[in-house]
Amino acid sequence: MRNLLHEMNPSVKFLLITLSMLAIAFFFNPWTPLLFWAGIILLQLTMSRINWKLWLLFMLPFFIGAFGYLWTTVVFGADTGGTVIWSFAGIDVTDEQWARALSLAFRVMAFSTLSLLFAFTTDPVKFILSLMQQLKLSPKLAYGIMVGYQFLPVMKDEFTQIQQAHRLRGAEMKKRSWQRLLEMRRVLIPMLAGAVRKAERSAFAMEARGFTGEPRSAYYRPVRIGRIDFLMSGVFFLILLISCVGGSWLS
Amino acid sequence: MPDEIFSLIGLSFRFPEDEAKTLTGISFSVHRGERLVLTGPSGCGKSTLLYLLNRLYPENCDGLVDGEILLFGKPAADYAAGEINHRVATVFQDPDSQFCMPTVEEELAFTLENLQTSYDEMDPRIQAVLELTQLTHLRHTIIQSLSGGMKQRVATACALIMDPEVLLLDEPLSHLDPYTAKQFVQWLEQLQQQANLTIVAVEHRLDSWGSFFGREIQMGGDGNIVADQKFTTRPSVLFPVRQPAVQPETALHAAELSVTIKNKQLLSPSTFSAHRGEVVVIAGPNGSGKSTLMKLLCGIYKKTTGTIESDGTGYVPQSPEYLFLTQRVDQEVAYSGASTHDQLHELMVNLRLDEIKEAHPFAVSHGQKRRVAIAAMLADKRPVLLMDEPTSGQDTAALLELYGLIDQRSKEGTTFLIVTHDMEFAASLADSVLLIKDGQMTGKFDAKDVWHDEELLASHHLLAPKGVARLAESFA
Repeated sequence: MRNLLHEMNPSVKFLLITLSMLAIAFFFNPWTPLLFWAGIILLQLTMSRINWKLWLLFMLPFFIGAFGYLWTTVVFGADTGGTVIWSFAGIDVTDEQWARALSLAFRVMAFSTLSLLFAFTTDPVKFILSLMQQLKLSPKLAYGIMVGYQFLPVMKDEFTQIQQAHRLRGAEMKKRSWQRLLEMRRVLIPMLAGAVRKAERSAFAMEARGFTGEPRSAYYRPVRIGRIDFLMSGVFFLILLISCVGGSWLS
Repeated sequence: MPDEIFSLIGLSFRFPEDEAKTLTGISFSVHRGERLVLTGPSGCGKSTLLYLLNRLYPENCDGLVDGEILLFGKPAADYAAGEINHRVATVFQDPDSQFCMPTVEEELAFTLENLQTSYDEMDPRIQAVLELTQLTHLRHTIIQSLSGGMKQRVATACALIMDPEVLLLDEPLSHLDPYTAKQFVQWLEQLQQQANLTIVAVEHRLDSWGSFFGREIQMGGDGNIVADQKFTTRPSVLFPVRQPAVQPETALHAAELSVTIKNKQLLSPSTFSAHRGEVVVIAGPNGSGKSTLMKLLCGIYKKTTGTIESDGTGYVPQSPEYLFLTQRVDQEVAYSGASTHDQLHELMVNLRLDEIKEAHPFAVSHGQKRRVAIAAMLADKRPVLLMDEPTSGQDTAALLELYGLIDQRSKEGTTFLIVTHDMEFAASLADSVLLIKDGQMTGKFDAKDVWHDEELLASHHLLAPKGVARLAESFA
């Protein structure tokens, strides 16, 4: 049960999530995104093994963003009419304005939770393999991304080494953040130069092993679509249906 | 008469952006089962020649080919993309950029998928090649966690799984330490016999190969063949004999120095000192803490305990361009502002940077980059220089230049601490040797004594330098 989200076919999961987002985008009442959000969290609670502490940390910026939406819509939103429900400091808040603000805020929460659900339960390598096998992504692009992914830790090492070398030269850390951003270019140039060289070498190595970018006839690790995927599609559609119908009915 | 694998007739090659030809008048044939090595100075076109044999060139660089290249009796241009790579496999130089999948097994499968192997055949073939290469225990290991030597073995396994007739090697040892390199060559020798491979290698450091090769094609600087002869084992680079220039003053003294990062002791307390003009070689197995010691001495890492007294320590990383902060060589040297105009001028002339002072530091040659880095460190009043692996991937000419540079600077009082795997280089330069193992300093030894103590060397994954006999004579 706790493995279901992790074991789903990544492409199916990706398509379901994209579809749900598109569907939710057509509802402007506050209840639909709220119900949907609650549904997704319930789904994550019961069918995944994610690190909730990390999840909360990643959600923090979205919480702040959602609150920002709420606040700006309430205070600066266009006058839409409707009854004034409360007013303070000369600002009148109408019920319609409030509903729209809540709708926006919940939508931010629902979408970000959904995206994090995907990120937290999907193995990137499996995702790319699945994109290639189910959605016919070109192997050239797919393996290109894969090589890049393998390079990430090497790049990180290089980044620290260059920074250390620069500090040794007496390139002091600038106080203002824009100055620090400008300083980054000094680190990035040697890194880019190295990356270009590495990319060429990798391309040669792959080609020398017979990689031509042609679609392949068989996979060593086939990523299949199975019963879990049909089941989970059902669950996703159920949540979507309940939140759409329930939301319309409640408002 | 064994059958011909490759046959080149009057071949010449030019990159579209170059005026001069990279290769001219190349004619030779390779027969089945041969072990051939292509040698020559850096930039003589030996790698280009190798890439013409596996058809990476001319397609990938739009190069212009004249003459004939016959691969298995058929003109190279008549092969479809990727077709020849099933029969001619290649292992490259850099162990870090040959892989695209996370684990060994998946990497092997990547090759099989390229060959359109059917699903049922994949597993037996992976098993077979892992057994052949004795890598079965690494099947599920993450490639990036392996050492450089093991990565090269995995790369070779990935090449052999195609069941090739020819194996091309592009300086496969240049990133390995001598001990690992020797093991790799022994391993390859076995494989060659078991799989009846034809081997064509590009290599400028032949000493690690022993008597592996049967034939040598020597190339000249103009991309022509100078000699095509039976391979003879030869001594490694002959460095001139050097007079020590150690001065009595202490330049660096480290006492009870240790470092602990994230609760892991990377270096346990060590005490040693170095004199002005002394050349100290730091040696030990990979991951033993040599780089840690360097970074500690120059202040990149914070020491946990101990003291360092020195005249000022400078650091030259393996890639000197990591240090560069400006757009011009002269600005680079003057960056710290610690030297006067006259001192700067003297340094620039001394290190032959005067002629390239307006060039971009990234655009000059590797040797020049290193001289810029050294000049910048000296201009910043750091007369104790720490060099991290300056010999890695360098050809004979570059090694001799480096030797000359270190020799000259040490006479002028600069102290060098050099991490290197190249024992011949170390033996020719070192006044003393600092051995490290498992984050622990074994001790600082007089260079003369260390090279004869094979037991001590072997316990630190080092091989006695081949020039020892010659050195011993010169000391006598």
